[in-house]
Amino acid sequence: MVSIGVWINAFLTLCILSFLYKDNPFFRFAESLFAGMSLGYYIGLANQQTLMPNLFMPLFRDFSGSVVLLIPMALGILLYFRYIPRIAWMARLALAVYIGYYIGVMFLQKLHGEVLPQSRDTILQLRGIAGIDVLWNAVFIAGVISVLLYFYFSAEHKGVLGKVSRVGIWFLMISFGASFGYTIMARISLLMGRFSFLVNDWIRPLMGAS
Amino acid sequence: MNARKLLYVDRRVIYLLVAIGALVPIIRPIGLPTVPTKPVQQLFNKIESLGPDDTVIISFDYGPSSEPELNPMAQSILRHCFQRRVKVLVMALFPLGGVNMAIDQLQAVADEFDDINYGVDFVNLGYKDGAQAAMKRMDISIESLFPADVNGDPTKDMPIMAHARNYDDIAVVISLATGIIGEYWVNLVNAQFGVPVAVGCTAVSAPKYYAYLRAGQMMSLLGGLKGGSEYEKLLVDKYEFARELYEQPEIKITSAMAGMDVQSIVHVIIIVFIIFGNTMYFIMKRQEKAR
Repeated sequence: MVSIGVWINAFLTLCILSFLYKDNPFFRFAESLFAGMSLGYYIGLANQQTLMPNLFMPLFRDFSGSVVLLIPMALGILLYFRYIPRIAWMARLALAVYIGYYIGVMFLQKLHGEVLPQSRDTILQLRGIAGIDVLWNAVFIAGVISVLLYFYFSAEHKGVLGKVSRVGIWFLMISFGASFGYTIMARISLLMGRFSFLVNDWIRPLMGAS
Repeated sequence: MNARKLLYVDRRVIYLLVAIGALVPIIRPIGLPTVPTKPVQQLFNKIESLGPDDTVIISFDYGPSSEPELNPMAQSILRHCFQRRVKVLVMALFPLGGVNMAIDQLQAVADEFDDINYGVDFVNLGYKDGAQAAMKRMDISIESLFPADVNGDPTKDMPIMAHARNYDDIAVVISLATGIIGEYWVNLVNAQFGVPVAVGCTAVSAPKYYAYLRAGQMMSLLGGLKGGSEYEKLLVDKYEFARELYEQPEIKITSAMAGMDVQSIVHVIIIVFIIFGNTMYFIMKRQEKAR
């Protein structure tokens, strides 16, 4: 017995896949439904999983001990003032706090988590290591330098700079090829997921097969 | 002229061939071999080295759109942790469906083990908004960020929370990620708090994670369905229960190892089209030159 949920799931899957033939009202219906449901889901989730346990429940249980929570609550409410033209400017106060916080977080995050460790990783030794590692380190260093020079636009790309940046293009092309291969793998996985559902959860039970 | 006609073949013909290539192995699985790679082996070895006194975080940072790629990975990692009796904190920092992925996968796998208990061996802490802010808070106190679990029950009374006060108690964070949240675990939590991080990501985002892996900022990377299939293979080779489990038809058909049949066949089709397109391009170029 195929449940109504599986039928709805199969119908919406076919609606989305129908776009491969051409754009049509079924596809647009499924697309709009998905967008609307996603928004509704997110609002419900944020309320149930974040606002209730981290804001409202502590305030209800122990107001004096949780009074500091009124500050982020007020900032959150301020954001909605943008819909009242007369006091819309007040929303900027909350935005300023959010932007300031996340700039601070991101600045350290990028510096400690990307710039420094990634720069450190490009400082590689070519002596005192064995065999194939020398070759890989040389390729790595050549790749970093040539790609960086390709993105150096303060001088015309001719002569030595032109030749090195040409090597950089080759490195970039190889990396784009690897990314393309991974992208195909990801998209095929999605297709496989839908086909597997259609075959194993919908068609096979309909035909009475296990 | 014929070459030109072949080159401009209707794209729907390619779609049809890809669809056939994907459907055939789903209906009749082939069982192509899977060979584990070093980045996947590293996470497997790490979990193997852990025991009942250790705690791991598994963060479900993906939604339904990445389900076919990341569900098999989530299941095999959870099975491995539960088999080793490692304590598991499950959470979700991805808004669109992460918490539902966590609920479904945790329920499916926990039911396979008789002697593990909710709140003692594992807990689902639910979803929390704010990604980086949530990650930073966990360095002070995990319980203060998650005062209640996914069902709204207080976490302070749960025995597992005594083993998970903050990052100092966490042996490894495993982020199953579809977007940028996996990166945050690496460039924020690993960089600033020194917690080992492994990422199981969708294939499309795997290339960017290799830079972190190479720089030693991640201890392991499971890239897409292939990464998931490699982890399953390691689990099946090591444990008898896993071998029997992955032989069950309802688990076998949704496993990453079975999915790699589809991947291999469709990749061959696409490679053939790429070679065909390029050959036709050069033939046409030669014809135009001759004219």
